[in-house]
Amino acid sequence: MASPGAGKTTLLSRTIKALKGKYRIGVMEADVDSSVDAETISALGAKVIQLHSGGLCHMDADMTARGIEAFDLSDLDILFLENIGNLVCPAEFDVGAEKRVMILSVPEGDDKPLKYPLMFQVSDIVLVNKIDTLPVFDFDKASFENNAHLRHPDMPILYLSAGTGEGFEAWLNWLTAEASKICRPLVSDHQEG
Amino acid sequence: MRTIELHKSVTESNDRDAERLRSELLEKGVLLVNLMSAAGSGKTTLLSRIIGDIGQKVRIAVLEADIEASVDAERIEALGARSIQVHTDGMCHMDAGMTETGLREMGLDGIDLVFLENIGNLICPAEYDTGAGLNIMISSLPEGDDKPLKYPLMFQTSQALVLSKIDTASYFHFDMDKFIARVRFLNPTIHIFPVSAKTGEGMEALEDYLLEQTKAWKEKGSHA
Repeated sequence: MASPGAGKTTLLSRTIKALKGKYRIGVMEADVDSSVDAETISALGAKVIQLHSGGLCHMDADMTARGIEAFDLSDLDILFLENIGNLVCPAEFDVGAEKRVMILSVPEGDDKPLKYPLMFQVSDIVLVNKIDTLPVFDFDKASFENNAHLRHPDMPILYLSAGTGEGFEAWLNWLTAEASKICRPLVSDHQEG
Repeated sequence: MRTIELHKSVTESNDRDAERLRSELLEKGVLLVNLMSAAGSGKTTLLSRIIGDIGQKVRIAVLEADIEASVDAERIEALGARSIQVHTDGMCHMDAGMTETGLREMGLDGIDLVFLENIGNLICPAEYDTGAGLNIMISSLPEGDDKPLKYPLMFQTSQALVLSKIDTASYFHFDMDKFIARVRFLNPTIHIFPVSAKTGEGMEALEDYLLEQTKAWKEKGSHA
């Protein structure tokens, strides 16, 4: 979940590339009515379907279930739902996901936890994206963390740039640790067995 | 790749209320501007700048809509402009009824130009007519040049587009020609104002446009 332009598709693209051969990844791209993101992801070789909400500003569990029907789940380890881009409605509807990941990009500002508290409350982790642009924006990390943790104490906050790859390792570590609680990677890092 | 169309449900009962509010505002000679954008694209910073620059020429008020916070209204109030905070309590847009309630509570006596700072997203606000005389959207440069492809309705329902944060261009892969072509494809008559509310670049053209529109609205109202 994230605002429009926060970098959901770029983050997914880099994640898919980094985990290629280790985890089988599927992506459900939810959009109001376009298909540009699904085409980007599809080009990386991941299994992807496009969901059109037809004007609705969020996905719900039923819409998600209908999307999942299009996959062969025995073929997948991790399935991402790229929700509709906004910080309001997606926070209110449980889609049935095991983990909720929120992306906030630096240009959006450090005041977002004050304005979209529910999104911060329901997310299991916040990824602060586009940190390569920190020099041009007045983004106060301490104030951001303070406000985010007021809404959700102890929530992990990772700083990264999906564009340059800076800080990306910590996100992959979090993701694969969560995934390994449910599924085993196809190939371990040490090529065991 | 499969594409699944999900059920579309859009409320249309709002349109009559919006028309009624618009006629009322025309009669009063008050231009209501519905300002729409994604979260964090700079609505409040832009408004602060506009109030500072042209607040002596036209009397400006601001209706701040948020799902529950009041940080923006406090920033606007600190500039001395009349403002009121509306909480939608989780809803992702303002409709004509909510707008009318907010305007009535705030009071329009002596006001020429009212900005409705709508809820920060590019979807729901585009679908609900608020009764505004002018719809303006902000797209900030860091959001990317693909936004017209993804949120076409917002670009179609706006009469003017403010491209904000242009001072950050060197940090982003933003293709200005591509962006403008995509916008014009959806809306050939839209006015486009590239600005930086931070440095002030481009603000004068936008402010002249707002002053013209306010004057034209008053004239239209006096003939109505």
